[in-house]
Amino acid sequence: MISAPHRILVVDDEVDTCANLSDILTDLGFQVDVAYDGPSALKLVKEKTFDVALLDLKMPGMDGLELYRRIKALQSGTVAIVVTAYASSNTANEALAAGAWKILSKPVDPAKLLTLVDEAVEQPVVLIVDDDQDLCESLWDLFRERGYRVCLAHDPFDAVQRLEQRQHHVVLIDMKLPSGSGAEVFRLVRKANPQARTVLVTGLRSEMEQLVEQTLSEGADAACYKPFDIPDLLCTLGRLTKHE
Amino acid sequence: MFTDGFGTTTQAKLMPWDKIYQLYQELQRYVGWTDDDAKRVGGISELIEPHIVALIDDFYEEIDRHPEASKVITGGAQQVARLKQTLRGWLRDLVAGRYDKDYVSRRWRVGLRHVEIGLSQVFTNAALSRLRRGLLETLERVWTGDAKELLAIRGSLNLLLDLDLAIIEDAYQTEFSQRQQRSDRLAAIGQVAGGVAHELRNPLNVVKTSVYYLLNTRSPAPAKVQQHLERIERQIGLADRVITALSDFARLPVPELHPVSVPLCLKEVLELNPLPTEITVISHYPENLPSVLGDVRQLQIVFSNLVRNARDAMLPQGGSLTITAQPSDGDVEVIIADSGTGIPRENLERIMEPLYSTKARGIGLGLAITRSIIEKHGGGLHVASEPGVGSRFTVRLPAVSG
Repeated sequence: MISAPHRILVVDDEVDTCANLSDILTDLGFQVDVAYDGPSALKLVKEKTFDVALLDLKMPGMDGLELYRRIKALQSGTVAIVVTAYASSNTANEALAAGAWKILSKPVDPAKLLTLVDEAVEQPVVLIVDDDQDLCESLWDLFRERGYRVCLAHDPFDAVQRLEQRQHHVVLIDMKLPSGSGAEVFRLVRKANPQARTVLVTGLRSEMEQLVEQTLSEGADAACYKPFDIPDLLCTLGRLTKHE
Repeated sequence: MFTDGFGTTTQAKLMPWDKIYQLYQELQRYVGWTDDDAKRVGGISELIEPHIVALIDDFYEEIDRHPEASKVITGGAQQVARLKQTLRGWLRDLVAGRYDKDYVSRRWRVGLRHVEIGLSQVFTNAALSRLRRGLLETLERVWTGDAKELLAIRGSLNLLLDLDLAIIEDAYQTEFSQRQQRSDRLAAIGQVAGGVAHELRNPLNVVKTSVYYLLNTRSPAPAKVQQHLERIERQIGLADRVITALSDFARLPVPELHPVSVPLCLKEVLELNPLPTEITVISHYPENLPSVLGDVRQLQIVFSNLVRNARDAMLPQGGSLTITAQPSDGDVEVIIADSGTGIPRENLERIMEPLYSTKARGIGLGLAITRSIIEKHGGGLHVASEPGVGSRFTVRLPAVSG
């Protein structure tokens, strides 16, 4: 369904490490960018969309934890694999708590790393378009836990940018946004990510019913009402992405 | 104080009892203790004996009122009963009139035991004071003889208790500092392990991924293969340097002192540690600079460490490294100043500690080795730094006289 080559960001202050990971991943058909420090990595993240980021934990200046936090704020759909030379470290655990996916210890077993990268790029991508930031963050944790990559947008403008960055498998659309309606976002999704499945979301069931019905008739796949019935929401997501 | 038994660990320990007894005898002479004192104290044992139980009960009732002291009693009534038995033995021993090596070793063990159970030494002092008062009051109450004789006995008893306290305290301090050293050493090993792990796993990581590439890539270009092999070699060199630094530190040889020309030594150091173009080097060496007395290989380590630190503090922005050498009071002063990030005041005191590092790469041995070498040369290392402005390391080495 998504055929563009996957893009991977490698960040390590050890130049040789970057070169090796780049060689191995490039050989397997990935597009690889490398950065030797946090600020240059962030510059790349602002320019390109990465599926996976391999982050060294201990780097001079900005460490891997801080870097991941900033990457997440810019591109929450990037899956982070953190690499550390310390078998057990508090910072590594903090990185996991911040949303990084896996911790690998150095020396990295490349076969294991590649398995993880393959798994990460196969994870379905969900875009949540909702102006409620707290809700977005809770859903991010919830969906991430279930093996989805989660992108966030808080208004139609944001949503357009996200839709241009990559193909999403499912888009959750809040029907009432501060600067536009969900129906409008639905049409944008149709245009930018025609293969994406859509779930309409609203907390104002009676007020929005007509608009929801109309959008469903235009081709939206499902509607969910706030407060969410979480198992039901996850079930819908699983059905639409064929993801167990 | 006065705890039960002598813990198994203490019992197993081989203590230098002869030395401890010598110390005790030394202290006896110091306070003017004589055999007459021993006879006087020994003479009251029968007078005191009927009152020992009351003294002991008073003692433990008091402990009960002090949570910090009573918290070390964790075994309930049974333990208190045992402790009372021990105290009874201690009191009988005190007035038995025999202050030999066995007596002293029993006193010493009290101090050891206090460290084991974590009883603060302040309670030993307070407890002994309470017992002293109890003993003296009891003696006064039951004494029927000559008042002058009583005064003399009181004096002897006080001396004896002071000696007891001194020996218990000595035991406490000796044991405490030994334990402290052991735990410091363990902490240091942990720190070394962490630093070494990081410094070795990074090169291993490169080697492992290069090997993977060489084994798994479908028809890699010969240039690529060459590149990976060179990378492996380079990283093995880095790993080896980590081990060299460690063993250098662990077994720094005694310096072989010969006249060394500081400008020549620095020239070699700068050749061995090429600086990037972002860094400008300015050197000032006066023509009549005397040679220093040193081990040229070790002095190279000293200056290499300082130059590399200066470089790291100035990158990536760059800056200027100023090296000045000048005669000073029979010494030669070498000042290595950079225009780098500087060292925050709170780190300044710690930078020469082994295993202290603020760099992402590094075990934290550089400055510790540097200082150790300079000290073995009879010189000194001084640092001044201002965050945002730079750091200035001054090495003083003895000049060749004449």
